Formats: sequence, structure tokens, C-alpha cells
Amino acid sequence: MSSVPSGPENAPRRPAVARPHPTDPAADGTPIIVLRGVTKTYANGKSALRDVNLSVPEGDFVFLVGPSGAGKSTMIRLLIREELATRGKIILEGHDLARLKRRDVPRMRRRIGIVFQDFKLLPNKSVRDNVAFALEVTGTPRSLIKPAVDRVLRVVGLSGQADQRPSELSGGEQQRTAIARALVHDPNLFIADEPTGNLDPLISWEIIQLLLRINEMGVTVLMATHNAEVVTALRKRVVGLEDGRVVRDETGAAYHRED
Amino acid sequence: MIPFIAFSLKRAWQGFWRNSLMSLAATASMVLMLTLLSGVVILYLGLSATLTYVQGEVQVVAYLNDSATSQDVSRLTADLQAMPQVKAVTYVSKDQALKDFQKREPGVATLVESLPDNPLPASFNISLRDPSDYIDVATYLRDQSAVDSVQDIAKTVSQMSSVINVVSTVGVVVLVIVGLTTLFIIVNTIRLAVVARAEEIEIMRLVGASDAFIRWPFVFEGAFVGLLGALITIGLLLLVQAPLASLLSSFFNVLPVQATAMVGQNVALMVLGTGVGIGFVGSYLSVRSYLKR
Repeated sequence: MSSVPSGPENAPRRPAVARPHPTDPAADGTPIIVLRGVTKTYANGKSALRDVNLSVPEGDFVFLVGPSGAGKSTMIRLLIREELATRGKIILEGHDLARLKRRDVPRMRRRIGIVFQDFKLLPNKSVRDNVAFALEVTGTPRSLIKPAVDRVLRVVGLSGQADQRPSELSGGEQQRTAIARALVHDPNLFIADEPTGNLDPLISWEIIQLLLRINEMGVTVLMATHNAEVVTALRKRVVGLEDGRVVRDETGAAYHRED
Repeated sequence: MIPFIAFSLKRAWQGFWRNSLMSLAATASMVLMLTLLSGVVILYLGLSATLTYVQGEVQVVAYLNDSATSQDVSRLTADLQAMPQVKAVTYVSKDQALKDFQKREPGVATLVESLPDNPLPASFNISLRDPSDYIDVATYLRDQSAVDSVQDIAKTVSQMSSVINVVSTVGVVVLVIVGLTTLFIIVNTIRLAVVARAEEIEIMRLVGASDAFIRWPFVFEGAFVGLLGALITIGLLLLVQAPLASLLSSFFNVLPVQATAMVGQNVALMVLGTGVGIGFVGSYLSVRSYLKR
């Protein structure tokens, strides 16, 4: 992709009127994520999610918004099966996560690419080695690692910085390294938890453009964010969480409720 | 499988040197434990081999008065042979005793020839079926007027077996204490290595690494500490082997030679097995408790 960052002015335009997301998942194809009556209550009695229903069809681009503590991170932890729901069902690519055996969790994780606000790169490894690490630790034969790494570095536009260490990179380049690492297993679902939280607006747009491009390649993208400018400009599907409940689910919506 | 083993060994090696001070301290305590272990085992094996040898060779030796007649000799021989505890009886006459002595000590043979008469007593050498029956035979012999004295070997045998008991009890206690300490040090060393890699472990989980890929590098790292400790210990044992062997052979001079060679090989295998085993078990326990969540 072009490394010239795009501002909100050249982001794709969508109708300004938001409409409710169709509740029937079949209307938009096979759902890759289904949450049915999901409740997560922690040992201290605090409920992070309450009776959440959500269906995300394959190929969708979803913004997950809401104030801090609304349950966005909890939902992500449940989706990657870092934790199990207290009640309700989470079905990922047709697999009920509660019934997934412990030893099958790693295989499921490889179907999900995930990036975070704090990048989670290994400081003593180069860009190339950080990306290769994801393949090494999943037992990929050495001969397959290099071509796969080269390919995703081209996708994120970091081929020229492959031998640099994270400390020599800008924040945007570090996040692009993390995205390359998340892509290297060819995931079906891409989850981004506040990916632009540590980045300035211009660089944030660069990262968003990259996520849009990944979405265009057919990967479902779920992005939790506080970035109102980006959400409003893109007019994608917006799922709003508040106090652990889904308070809105609209397609072509803005960051803030417009009605 | 090959990428897994290559990855685990590479990570274990990196992990060992990443916190080299901790790793070397753990290796040093491993060496200490294994050295103590081999010391105790060598001592125990040497002593018990000697005891077995001595017990097998136990003979009651009864010296006769010079006044003993040939009737006395044949009566005693018949009586002894009739005893169920006795395996064999050999009568050594005064002349035979002198010949044996001259053969054994050629240096003083001429000195003996200058004596007016033969100073050596005639004797019975009695082999026993079971060394613990010594007392019965000795008591019988002491009551005979023809018998001058009975050599008291029972004391030596019982002293030796009590020494062996003490050595093995103290040795086992010391080994258990040092072994547990070493295990504890390994558990802690690996725990620190795991904590130092918490960030990497988190990333590995996120990108879908299986538990084996997370766990085994640490287990290999612990086993590597044990292996290195064992090799250093074996090296130390080889260095001291020559002086030790001459010390042992002068101390346990009745030991058959091939027994010491066997001891050397067995001790090396035992050191290797114990070192790697403790490193393996310690790190496995350490990693398992950390990753169980």
C-alpha cells in the first residue's frame, strides 16, 4: 500500500444516516462470530458483560465502541478464549468456545490475528524476527518461514525496515510490525484492541487504512476504539457497549449516537 | 517435530545464558550435590564390597598348643567336620605353617632358619557356611585343652557392618537434604527464567503456540543445568580418580580390581542420571505450576 497517510477527508464516504444492523445473521452470510446471551461475572462479583447478543458475518468490519470499563476488552478476551463466559454461548467459526478442548485453543488462536495498543513486540528481536517468531513457536518448518514473513512485510510496507529493532521504529511502524505478525498465520478474523491508542492522528489513519485493506482481502475485522474521528468518518458497523450491555448496533453509523 | 526440538533446544540454550549468573549458581549447587552423592556412593560401595569379601573369607583360625597330640588333631577334625555350621576344615601342621611363612615372607626366611626350633603353632583353618555361626564354633574350640587360642575376627566383621550402616544412614540423610535444596534451586532458577520471559510467553499464547512449545524450552533449560553439572562433576571425579584409586586400593586392599572399574562407570552413569533427572523434574514442576491457568 502507499505509505502516504490518508486523512479523514479522503476516507470513503457513506450515507450519513445510520440504520440498525439486521439481527438475522443469515441476511449477511455465515456469521464468523456469534454471541448469545453472554454474561461474564468475575470472582469479585463485578459483571463485565451482561446478556450480550452479537452476530458478525464473515468479511464484516465492526467498530466496538464505549467508555473505558464498558466491557470491550472483556469481550476480546472471551473471543480469543483467554477467559470463558460465565453464561451464554460464544461461537467462533462454528465452534462453541466453551466446548473447545484446552489443547485445541492454540489452533483456534492461529485463526485470529490480534493487535493491541501497546504493540507487544519483543524489543531484542528485529522486525523480521518478531514476525517470524509467530511461525517459529507454532512449529512452522524453517523453509516456509522466510517467504511468509517477506510476504506480510510487503503487505504492511515494512520490507525496508525488516532488520531494524522496534526501538528504531516509529510508533506507526511498530504497530505495522504487530499487524504483520498477526497476519502471518493467514487469519480469518482480525481483532484490534485500541490499535491507534498510542498513535498521533496522522499515523492512526495509516493504521486504519491498513486494516481496511486487510478487510478488503476478505478478513473480518473487529476493532475496539475510542477514536471518534475514525469511526465517524468511515461509516462502518458500530457496536456500542455500556456497562457490559450492547446499547447500540448500527450499520453506517458515527462514533456518537446521532438520533 | 524437528522444528519443535530445534526451537526448544535453541531457546533453552539462550535461556541458560540470558540469566547466566543464576544458571551458573544453579549449576554450581548441582555440582556440589552430585560430588557429595558420588563421594557417599563410592565410600558405600567400597565398604560394602569389602565387607562382602571379608564375610566370604571368614575363617575361624584356632591355634593349637605344641603339646597337642595327633590323636587330639584327628578327634578335633572329626568333631569339627560333624558340625553342621562347618564347610571345610584344614589342618596346618607346625612344619606346614613354617613353610607357608617362608613362602609368604622370603626376606625373613633365613632369619627363621637360624632359630633353634619352629616358633609357629599348628592350626585349624575352618571355613563356615554362614559367618554369623562364628560364635558357636569358636566357643566349642575354646573349651578344648589342645587349643591355645582362637583368632577373634567377629569383632572386625561387626565393626565393619556398623560403619557401613552409619555411612549409609548419614549419607542418605545428607543426600536427601542436598538433593531437595538443589531441586528447590532449580525450581526457582527456572521460575525466574519463566517470569523474565512472561512477555514472550504472552505473545506465544496470543499467536497460538501450543503448551509444549511454551513449556519444553524451560524443561530443557533445567535439564541442561543438570547435564552441565553432571559433566563438571564427572570431570572432577576423573581428575581425582588416580589419587583416589590408589588411596582406595591401599585402604580396601582386599578388593578385587575389576570391582573398582565397575564402580567408576556406574558412578558416572548415576551422576549423569541424577543431574539430568533433578534438572528435568525441577523445571517441569516449576513451569507446570506457572502455566496452569
